[in-house]
Amino acid sequence: MQNHILQKKEQKLAILLLFPSFLILLLVAVYPLFTVFQTSITNKTFASSSQISYIGLDNYTKLLALKIVELDPVFDEEGNPEINELTGKRVYENPTKVLPRKPNRYKEISQFDIFGHHFVFAGTDPDFILSVKDTVFFTLLSVFFETIFGMAIALIMVQNFPGRGGLRVAMLVPWAIPTAVSSRMWEWMFASTRVGIINVIGQFLRWTNGQFSFLTTPSTQLLSIIVIDIWKTTPFMALLLMAGLQTIPPSIYEAAEIDGCSAFHRFWKITLPLVKNTLVVALIFRTLDSLRVFDLFQIVFGQKRYSMSSFSYYQLINNKAMGYSSASSVLIFIIILLFIVLYSRISGGIGDEK
Amino acid sequence: MKLFTKFLFFSFVLGCISLSVFATGTTEKKSTMSESQNTNKIQLVVTASTAGQELELITEGCQKYMQEHPNIDAKILTVPSDSTDRLGLFMQYFETQSNAVDIFLIDGIWPGDIAEHLLPLGPYGAEKYTKDMFPSMIQNDTVNGKLLAMPAYTDAGVLYYRTDLMKKYGFTQPPQTWAELKTMAETVQKGERAAGNQDFWGFVWQGNAYEGLTCDALEWIYSEGGGSIVESDGTISIDNTHAAKALDRAASWINTICPEGVLGYTEEESRAIFQAGNAMFMRNWPYCYSLGNTEGSMIKGKFDVTTLPKGASGHGAAALGGWQLAASQYSDHPEEAAKLVFFLTGYEQQKMRAIKGSFEPTIASLYKDPEVLAAVPFFSNMLDVFNTSCARPSTVTAPHYAEVSKVFYSEVHDVLLGKENGKTAVENITLNIEDII
Amino acid sequence: MRNKQSKIGKIAFWIIVSVMFIYLVFPFYWAINSSFKTEFQLMMTPATFLPLDPVTHRLSFSLINYQGVFKNPDFMRGIKNSALVACSVTLICLVVGSFAAFALGKLKFRGKKASLYLILSMTMFPQISVLTGLYALMNQFHVNPMLSMIFSYMIFTLPFTIWVMTSFFKGIPNSLFEAAKVDGATSFQSFRIILIPLAIPAMVTTGLLAFIAAWNEYLFALTFTSIDTTARTVPVVMAMFSGTISRQEPFGEIMAASIVVTIPLLILIYFFQRRLIEGLTAGAVKG
Repeated sequence: MQNHILQKKEQKLAILLLFPSFLILLLVAVYPLFTVFQTSITNKTFASSSQISYIGLDNYTKLLALKIVELDPVFDEEGNPEINELTGKRVYENPTKVLPRKPNRYKEISQFDIFGHHFVFAGTDPDFILSVKDTVFFTLLSVFFETIFGMAIALIMVQNFPGRGGLRVAMLVPWAIPTAVSSRMWEWMFASTRVGIINVIGQFLRWTNGQFSFLTTPSTQLLSIIVIDIWKTTPFMALLLMAGLQTIPPSIYEAAEIDGCSAFHRFWKITLPLVKNTLVVALIFRTLDSLRVFDLFQIVFGQKRYSMSSFSYYQLINNKAMGYSSASSVLIFIIILLFIVLYSRISGGIGDEK
Repeated sequence: MKLFTKFLFFSFVLGCISLSVFATGTTEKKSTMSESQNTNKIQLVVTASTAGQELELITEGCQKYMQEHPNIDAKILTVPSDSTDRLGLFMQYFETQSNAVDIFLIDGIWPGDIAEHLLPLGPYGAEKYTKDMFPSMIQNDTVNGKLLAMPAYTDAGVLYYRTDLMKKYGFTQPPQTWAELKTMAETVQKGERAAGNQDFWGFVWQGNAYEGLTCDALEWIYSEGGGSIVESDGTISIDNTHAAKALDRAASWINTICPEGVLGYTEEESRAIFQAGNAMFMRNWPYCYSLGNTEGSMIKGKFDVTTLPKGASGHGAAALGGWQLAASQYSDHPEEAAKLVFFLTGYEQQKMRAIKGSFEPTIASLYKDPEVLAAVPFFSNMLDVFNTSCARPSTVTAPHYAEVSKVFYSEVHDVLLGKENGKTAVENITLNIEDII
Repeated sequence: MRNKQSKIGKIAFWIIVSVMFIYLVFPFYWAINSSFKTEFQLMMTPATFLPLDPVTHRLSFSLINYQGVFKNPDFMRGIKNSALVACSVTLICLVVGSFAAFALGKLKFRGKKASLYLILSMTMFPQISVLTGLYALMNQFHVNPMLSMIFSYMIFTLPFTIWVMTSFFKGIPNSLFEAAKVDGATSFQSFRIILIPLAIPAMVTTGLLAFIAAWNEYLFALTFTSIDTTARTVPVVMAMFSGTISRQEPFGEIMAASIVVTIPLLILIYFFQRRLIEGLTAGAVKG
């Protein structure tokens, strides 16, 4: 009976404590988010008085439709397979002739070979598919390195050594500079002639000839932007992990040292489990922010290479396709949701009773 | 104690709600305060970006107008200099049909895409002003037979070249054809590199995947006789051998006479290379002229401007840029707004801007005005440039120009990257544009 | 043997520290370097580590960029606005967030998991999709720009604050909590008197991160302050920086502005990070 009353009291208190948060989020977020879902099933045009009609899941099919079609090799008059002189490879028919056109035209995304057969991988919106691939790749690499570097910095920062205060401040500098400014700064540093300091250093170390264009060569584009993001966000991870590490009482370490544990063993068996909670939260939010990356891609790449969010943005502003843009936003939401579900499965849940 | 804390809670929450409901500022431009102060004044809001002297000169124009018309209060609203940011902002206003802004300073490629939000200026007496302006610009601003904006100042692509290096390597005149440009650039580049400047390149331009590339590529294609992507009657003309050849030729310049980084250059990056003395030729807009001649510039007095080279068609091509003033459909005072637009784009104002800021006028006679030529001598070349100008197909592809342009410059960028050849590119461009319009 | 190991360990430690320090600080040093260069010095090839005159290659610092920044009245007002918005966001998030986190971290009730994930779901949308709806909402109710910014930033900072604080509260052993209750304190009292002091490191951390996120936000600020220019925050003002001629990007001035903006932030951080250390010693769990 006592327990029951206690529970009810706790329930009431909980509702009271949660009330302000939910109120704020309700006032601010519900209407905009609702309109996103609603617009995604229409063909609304941004800033236009044209008729809005409900088109069901058409936007979604246009974004996601994929197809794999086999391409036949091209033969010349004598019946021999044609070879491309420059690459030495067989010439295959032009995909535009084979891919369906109605109701939406399929465009090539990439071509590949399996077991001697040549295929083309196509979709109705290659830009979207590529943006998803690029964003996920970006997220995986950035979050991975940011976590490792962040953890390393956090471990160092909780130790006592001279100059620790100054170092902590220096550590936060990348996060403190506005993204618009730091992206421009890095763009300038990555400049393709020796105006860019990275080319100067690269030439000094004999890595480049001083004229390498990091941001336009497809193979180095993503890596460059990942370098910028790691620089910018490692402090975020480091600060969070540092706060987590500080709740571990030093007495535990002292006991372990007496028992003869090595530093690595200490980290793996003691530190890691105790910061697990903070680490999971940090990972969730870092991954979330990374999947939603917008500023960085918009400033550095513009329309050269999209992230999922910048794709949505340009669909809205450039193409004025509000319904289509909202549909892509909903898909981004679903993709992020999948990652979160994955995390909670792996980490064993965070809302559970302990 | 518990009751007290409960009370604290609710008052905090209530405080938040009341703040947001009662502390109303205004997102509309007309607040009760200013109305009581200027009871007879009509307020017009004009946008101007802080890019360069634009703000300064538009403000000057508005102040002069206010002196002549004391019942008008012209207020300037600063907007970002970045074009996409600006467009995004204006579209948010249009989406909410806001009356907050009366006059917009818009890019020449926007009238078609935002046509339904602009006030047709014909009924307010535009005729007597438009007859002095370049017809191609007026045509650009006329969508479905209605004049939606007045050209305020214009821009056209030009070729910059180093006069000192021309002399040094024995060339007598700037290149007349693209082939000539290539040979001249190669010679100079080789020589300068041998003399120790390893950062020297022959030719720089704007190759980043953005609207600027549409301008540069259009120039190559039009001068080669490949048309202007979509013709004024609506036919998609890009799929032809001239266009393909022009694109392939440009691709051949990369890493020979142009740095690979040109694929990431916008106007400022290419200017930085040329102005530091590291390039022989540059394609850019006229604004670089006065910047290149400022005190401390490495190339001061050592360069000049001319029309871009000709291609197989026998004529050159200069992409037309420029900014227009338009009035909003949602303005509370359409007639006053239209009158202010006519004033700011009138002969006197354009002359003032030409002299004080080197803004190219849209009125042909100003290019022969002695005072203008005294202030900006290279304007005498500009008339030739405007005669070879070619506008981007923004009006004919309205309201989808932004999408069409993206398709075009993405494919061109791929050709320059070496991912595909010109023929495939022009085929793809045609198919993609067909899908859009 | 121990001595040698610890010596190598120490050297390795300092090498790693130096490398990280350089990686993190170098671009900031580069910004300072660039802020003292005129446009011509910025165009030099190869780029120089100190501002040099392009012709004579002697040291030549220029204050022209800083002059431009300080002469700009919008910029100073922008700093004031940014500070106001960021402080409000941080304060509200910490207060509201810690209440919610206490409930989610320490109390037993149904719907805990659902609440957590519902709160999180607000941040799973790209900014642009939310922007149009928000702008229409703010316009409809004539909310003033500062408040629009403060409340819209909550969409992204409040869930973060709640989650971090929740994980912190969960990490604090229940024994403390139970002990207080046995002594006769209500749940809320134990929250106020015991938990909050222990959570200082977490609150300072999330406060700092939320403050900086609100300080640097650009897209929403641009849209909400587009008409009412007196409410513009620093990132928006910086986007309006002009060169002397149209199309010219004033890179040097932007660098100077970013230095001017970042230094007070760094002083603020230095002040607060000392509290982080104090939080450590105060919060050590005894026994």
